[in-house]
Amino acid sequence: MSVKVHIHATHRQFTNGLEVVAAEGSTVGECLNHLIKQFPGMEKALFAKKGKLLNNVEIFLNHASAYPNELVKPVKDDDEIHLVTMLAGG
Amino acid sequence: MLTPSEIERYDRQIMMGEIGQEGQERLKRSRVFIAGAGGLGSPIASYLTAAGIGMIRMIDHDHVALSNLNRQILHWEEDIGRKKVDSAKEKLTNLNSAAEIETIGETITEDNVSQLVDGCDVIVDAMDNLPTRYILNRCAIEKNMPFFHGAVHGFEGRVMTIIPGETACLRCMYRGPVPQEKFPVIGVAPAVIGSIQATEVIKYLVGIGKLLINRLLFYNGLEVTFNEFTVNKNPDCDHCGSLVKRE
Repeated sequence: MSVKVHIHATHRQFTNGLEVVAAEGSTVGECLNHLIKQFPGMEKALFAKKGKLLNNVEIFLNHASAYPNELVKPVKDDDEIHLVTMLAGG
Repeated sequence: MLTPSEIERYDRQIMMGEIGQEGQERLKRSRVFIAGAGGLGSPIASYLTAAGIGMIRMIDHDHVALSNLNRQILHWEEDIGRKKVDSAKEKLTNLNSAAEIETIGETITEDNVSQLVDGCDVIVDAMDNLPTRYILNRCAIEKNMPFFHGAVHGFEGRVMTIIPGETACLRCMYRGPVPQEKFPVIGVAPAVIGSIQATEVIKYLVGIGKLLINRLLFYNGLEVTFNEFTVNKNPDCDHCGSLVKRE
């Protein structure tokens, strides 16, 4: 399955400035692994340790929250994943 | 009842079919708690005061600093060193002398939050940190008070409206604590987000429009895009999930 991964502005430093990256996999987690293979800097931006998302990362699949158990959510061709970081300022 | 002066003052919004004189009277009877008198609190309080909200209670423990002035438009150079709530009250009272502006120069804690919001109809999030937002979120759910969330970072912001017992809450996607850090921001970002929060408050109080419930709205000022994401109520949420279990 090929999906579009939308990269948050703060993470684009790790994707050569790309806003959208194509990734392959059958789950959100597999797509993120493929994203990291293409852009290794994304691993630190998304994961605290292997398999554990950072607490400030939110994942949306087809414009809906993928929480909880985001990484095992299945995807299909042309799905869209948005990677977002939490905002805390006011 | 509105006075002749109020009918003249709010003429442009009373003439809106969605608001009318009845809606304006609802705004006049409303009591709004605004948590924070900074970047978000400034536009929220300004627009709600201008719109004719009867009572606004604002809380902030901080004092005005030079580095606040790029975004916290209730505070001016002459206010540096003053309590933010004193500076805010002066401006808001000058804007609308009929508005009752209550101010509290304290820190919001789990122990005092219930008492602080007592007597208000809604809670508006104008905080600068997540832990206090979660304190407000839990309090809103426990007291069954609508909670209007907003947050900013750089040119970006996000908004969501929470109706306890009915909608997803701020905690429904909670994965764990996030380190606190000094955040970059330019004043136009909280201006946009705070204005949307104030819009949501007005809509709720008047009883019109479609609220941002179960919808998280993201704004990116650099690209001038709005993205909307669906957020579902989490039955296992440690704040609002217990309501589901009690039902």
